[in-house]
Amino acid sequence: MRELRELAKKLLEEGTVSVVIGWEEGPRGVRPAFVTSPEDAEQLVFNSRSVHNLATYLNPRRPQVRRLGKPAVVVKACDAASVAALIRETQLKREDVVLIGVRCGGVVGRPDGPAELTPETVARRCMDCEKREPALCDHLVGEAQPAPPRGEGLGARLGALEAMPLSERWAFWAGELARCVRCHACREVCPLCFCERCVADKTVPQWIESSPHLRGNLAWQMTRALHQAGRCVGCGECERACPAGIPLALINRKLQQAVAERYNFKVSDDPGVPAPVGAFRLDDPQEFIR
Amino acid sequence: MSGERFLSTERGERLVADLTLSGVRVYAPVEAQGRTEYGLIKDLREAALGGPLPGMSLKSLFFPPTEPLFRWRQSGSEVALEAVPTTFEPMVILGVRPCDAASLAVLDGVMGWDYKDELWFGRRQAATILTIACPGFDDACFCSAVGLGPDASKGSDLLLVPVEGGYHVEIVSDKGAALVKAHPACFSDPRGRESAEAFRQQARRRVGSNLEIDPHRVRAWLAGHFEDRFFDGLGLRCHGCGACASVCPTCHCFDIVDEPEGLLAGTRRRHWDTCQTGKFTVHASGHNPRADQNPRFRQRVMHKFWIYPAKFGDVLCTGCGRCTRACPAGQNLLEILGQLDRQPQQIPEGMTS
Repeated sequence: MRELRELAKKLLEEGTVSVVIGWEEGPRGVRPAFVTSPEDAEQLVFNSRSVHNLATYLNPRRPQVRRLGKPAVVVKACDAASVAALIRETQLKREDVVLIGVRCGGVVGRPDGPAELTPETVARRCMDCEKREPALCDHLVGEAQPAPPRGEGLGARLGALEAMPLSERWAFWAGELARCVRCHACREVCPLCFCERCVADKTVPQWIESSPHLRGNLAWQMTRALHQAGRCVGCGECERACPAGIPLALINRKLQQAVAERYNFKVSDDPGVPAPVGAFRLDDPQEFIR
Repeated sequence: MSGERFLSTERGERLVADLTLSGVRVYAPVEAQGRTEYGLIKDLREAALGGPLPGMSLKSLFFPPTEPLFRWRQSGSEVALEAVPTTFEPMVILGVRPCDAASLAVLDGVMGWDYKDELWFGRRQAATILTIACPGFDDACFCSAVGLGPDASKGSDLLLVPVEGGYHVEIVSDKGAALVKAHPACFSDPRGRESAEAFRQQARRRVGSNLEIDPHRVRAWLAGHFEDRFFDGLGLRCHGCGACASVCPTCHCFDIVDEPEGLLAGTRRRHWDTCQTGKFTVHASGHNPRADQNPRFRQRVMHKFWIYPAKFGDVLCTGCGRCTRACPAGQNLLEILGQLDRQPQQIPEGMTS
């Protein structure tokens, strides 16, 4: 923590950045913090409740953050993959951000919940996470961390779902998606939903019905999923933000698997790795073209 | 209308059975897949009374996330409109939280102002609200800071207070009295008034300690400070996701859309909308008067604590705390209200609405 605070203070003092985006202890748990003066660097924390993917504040759709000037952002290994995706997709220049990597042994599911990491509290996405520190960063702080507790991770849940007969699986998703109220929280928190105008908001023509009935909800969630294929890094912020509790991370994980199998693409924090949708390869599988 | 009765737990079960048998839909908090939400029950034992606060507020039952307003069908140059029903079968909602019950009475103001919203009042008329006084749920509760309380009866027809063996029942409205009268075998002579009073006092103390503000003071400050540095950083961490509005019992903005079903027919529907998104205020020209999250969050605060009270008398917030619990970025309305309450009061003349 000392290391993190001192680095933030130094970056602000020497004018390398105008704001450090990190975490603080809020009135109800850990939350994002925007530190603009060196003396406030003391409020920064990093711990098992630093759940949020702060890369989302680098999304160009946030003029109020951009106005603060050049940022430094504290990133876990998973968050760095979002930054890499923003760079890969030309939404961010590498030199326009300072990345403070933190060594991470997993986070809990809720930033306002218990801090202790156990198989019950650990975020599902962390259960099978292999990366303890980001490669994409300018500074790396913190002690070496153990692997997060293991538990029934996303892979296991997805496996159980895939084992269901089609009709049962349909019933499962119909039940989950029926609760969607189309607030689009899943989109707004996503670091990679950066379209200035989302297809779901277009009205001439209206591609996707905006009403939260099952038909509109399915159209929205299927579109969101396909637009995320090969891009989503699996940070799980969409699921955490969803006020209806829809298990969106399952959809994201399924897409990751599909893209890995078909296009040999794995989520990476190397911005130089081409995105499957952004690169043309003669040997791309194309047996569906007849 | 006033009066007191006692409802034992067993008689409560009978009440639900009797109501269901007579064709009344009974709703109560229900737990499913780790979530508690208001849902249809046939047996009181299905209800999760005294459990967690339902994740979504009660408003969904009166103002659903989406609902048809009318249907149209075109035939040649003729367009036929098909109305939707605006009367509803009777329903009883049991185990309502006082913050949710109050929201209905608060929203009656805007729903019945220049135009009487038939769908809203149709459902309001059909519903009898049996509120259970709340012990206080967690540190995000602040009903007592907005003039209500964990035992407030606003918007309720009956107020039930948990006591040994059942509930002390306070009859709040004519509708509540009618329900008691229609089920004489379920309600007995009042019992446990003292322990009910103790429960209420303890709950008020518990919730009261979460936040102490003067909503009038907040309102007066807001009225004079539309442009203020206070709001400059207010939306920094906010994602504009609108989860707060979705779970809010009093957020009531809606959008109206026409959804074609084939070429010659369709439905006009309304569905929830939120001032937290950019799309809410963007003009056809592309200009957006609320260009980023700072003015959007200011709007949320202004509407709830100045504009609505100035127009309708009630604060547009019942202190349920759902926005604070739901926010993925840790925006905390209790913290913001506390800060507003501590702002120095220098109200320009004529600005206090």
